[in-house]
Amino acid sequence: MSAKFDLNDDSLVVIIGSGAGGGTLSNELAQKGIRSVILEAGKRFTFDDIENDEWKMFGKISWLDKRYVEGPARIAKDFPNLPAWIVKGVGGATMHWAGVAMRFQEHEFKMKTTNGTVAGANVLDWPVTLEEMAPYYEKAESKMGVCGTKATGMPYHGKSSHYKVVEEGAKRIGAKCEQANLAINTEIRDGRASCQVNGFCMQGCKVGAKWSTMYTEIPKAEATGKVELRPQSMVLRIEHDNTGKVTGVLYADKDGNQHLQKARIVAVAGNSIESPRMLLNSESSMFPAGLANSSGQVGQNYMTHTTGGVYAEFEKPVHMYKSTVVPGIVHEWKDNDPSRGHLAGYELEVLHLGLPFMSAFLNPGQGGWGRELANSLENYDNMAGFWICGEDMPVESNNVTLHPTEKDQYGLPVPVVYKTDHINDTRMRNHAYDRSKELFDSIGALKVNNLPPYPASHNMGTNRMSEHARDGVVNRWGQAHDIKNLFVSDGSQFTSSGTENPTLTIVALAIRQADYIADQMKRKEI
Amino acid sequence: MNKNKKSLFSFGKSVNSNADEPCVNRREFLSKTGKIALGASAVVIGGGLFSPESFAAKKIGIHGNATLLKMARDIYPHDTLENKYYVKVMSPMSEAAEKDSDLFKLLAEGVESLDTISVEKFDLKYVDIKSESDRVVVLKSLEASPFFQKIKGALMMGIYNNPELWPRFGFGGSAWEKGGYINRGYDKNDWI
Ligand SMILES: Cc1cc2nc3c(=O)[nH]c(=O)nc-3n(C[C@H](O)[C@H](O)[C@H](O)COP(=O)(O)OP(=O)(O)OC[C@H]3O[C@@H](n4cnc5c(N)ncnc54)[C@H](O)[C@@H]3O)c2cc1C
Ligand code: SF4
Repeated sequence: MSAKFDLNDDSLVVIIGSGAGGGTLSNELAQKGIRSVILEAGKRFTFDDIENDEWKMFGKISWLDKRYVEGPARIAKDFPNLPAWIVKGVGGATMHWAGVAMRFQEHEFKMKTTNGTVAGANVLDWPVTLEEMAPYYEKAESKMGVCGTKATGMPYHGKSSHYKVVEEGAKRIGAKCEQANLAINTEIRDGRASCQVNGFCMQGCKVGAKWSTMYTEIPKAEATGKVELRPQSMVLRIEHDNTGKVTGVLYADKDGNQHLQKARIVAVAGNSIESPRMLLNSESSMFPAGLANSSGQVGQNYMTHTTGGVYAEFEKPVHMYKSTVVPGIVHEWKDNDPSRGHLAGYELEVLHLGLPFMSAFLNPGQGGWGRELANSLENYDNMAGFWICGEDMPVESNNVTLHPTEKDQYGLPVPVVYKTDHINDTRMRNHAYDRSKELFDSIGALKVNNLPPYPASHNMGTNRMSEHARDGVVNRWGQAHDIKNLFVSDGSQFTSSGTENPTLTIVALAIRQADYIADQMKRKEI
Repeated sequence: MNKNKKSLFSFGKSVNSNADEPCVNRREFLSKTGKIALGASAVVIGGGLFSPESFAAKKIGIHGNATLLKMARDIYPHDTLENKYYVKVMSPMSEAAEKDSDLFKLLAEGVESLDTISVEKFDLKYVDIKSESDRVVVLKSLEASPFFQKIKGALMMGIYNNPELWPRFGFGGSAWEKGGYINRGYDKNDWI
């Protein structure tokens, strides 16, 4: 049974956002008997709302509030108001996500130690190591049901045609390729169905085989009677007292009425654009630069992964859409080997788009028309391809700031996202384009198309973790350096992006953070 | 060998190719339905006979509609795709322009600038330019205009997001109600 709490109850943890970070944190706390309210800006969707239709789902669940993209990168031209492709709804981007769940590599927690200072980048070691994270990764894999891991013992999905094509290409050029570790059931598990290969993982999984907080963590948390979820509750600002501790959260309900929910602890998990925006919007005379921002790092170091797409056309059908969205990963270049001409690593993630999205992303923006594009789309059924996912250098000037004059429907300054390549990102992407072409050429590709980055699905780094308060926003537990009872619980904590998709690490961090919060509450530290 | 590349190359040179003629080289695309595209003058739509005049929103006029249709085919040229699919996108727009004066202005002025540029560059109205690559030159110069982008956007949705056309492009569409592909060939591949 869902709980119901009073606005004046100041004994609660108030969690902002119900996605990978917030949804997980609420359930982990609830299992320990700790009560929380989740304030979620979006609606609560049901399985009936999920359709196997790319544009319909995009229109239904995406975060489409006004945003600006700036910077010289092509994305600012192609998608001037859509820096990120993420979700406004219960479950957050875990509705859209493809389910790829990989652990960071050891060196990825210490990029500064590994490569030293990188000119033009703001590289830092995480105040956490892989060794410390390992048990939490194990718990996360078990919770989420990641196939191909020791934690679950679930087998991989079978090899789809799309996977087989890439696997053969990888073999011919001597590159490592494996089926993907997906948080998608290959057996009935945890009360959820096994994957039936609909191929629309990124539109929300109609049968619930893919882990999403929408139908795992949230209902489990509610069932404890310790959690109240308030959908369509947009947080406007976080309040504090004159000792500098946070005391509550001001939000607008679906009718625009404002409420102040009191809090003992506040955990921010609105994804990496909204989380820093909330902290910046909460500025006060005591914290003129925004909450938890004595380092000046709130909103800085915005990372999206170094991405791009590569789609090859073949003579014969691949029917890539008859597959889980990401059936496999080419791991060959995930290590940190500067002899390649770039630092850090990348993965080629075998990934399909449906025809509607392929038409929009193959050559996005104003110039995406004409016979060459049309010919490629006629070859849709004969395509195989990748999404490139590589480590993105943290750069201070890649950031989220507030528009000086323009306000959104809630009266809040519109976020401005500045994002452009560090030279390392460009070199890495070019390396990935070249290796992908070799791979596809080795199996007789007729044509290989390079796609520029599309709106970011992975967003990280804007409230980063650091050992020292001067370098970042939160400490090794995601606790604000400046404010003891304020936590960041989503991907914005990332000190560096790693090569791997972020969600498994977000979930592992949330599980670990819940242990810490419980301990600190018991000791009356917070 | 590389049929696709050939047809891509020949596009640049085949100055006299007419986008409305089915291209025999296009592989499977045509054979998927076995239907043959009709010329621009008459198309079967919804069981009835349809001519460019009848999409015809009167205000835009016959010439305007014919220009928009030609432009539509040039933006996403699929030679074997019947006109009706392009008309289905353009027709509602022309009709809406009867009542929406801003839209009318956008379309009418867009057609006018297409013709102005065509005359400047090739001494012909847009619809009368025979070579696709010449028409592309004209379109390219208007690419950034709201007029062009509006039509491009509508066509992208109308062609590639049209479930009726998905089978012809080899896309399966919604699959959950058929039990996905777990028992319907997700692992089938006879060539790799
Ligand atoms: C298409 C797509 C594919 C992806 N595939 C993968 C993948 O395969 N593997 C992987 O690891 N990751 C993947 N991701 C990324 C993954 O979804 C995110 O990394 C993850 O969900 C981020 O978790 P989060 O907690 O930071 O934010 P989210 O999950 O986005 O949750 C944030 C929530 O906060 C809410 N919110 C924001 N602001 C406010 C406010 N002011 N008040 C109240 N609520 C607010 C939002 O509505 C949202 O529900 C994918 C993402 C997309 C879009
Ligand atoms: S492929 Fe599997 S996980 Fe993806 S949507 Fe279909 S059933 Fe769900």
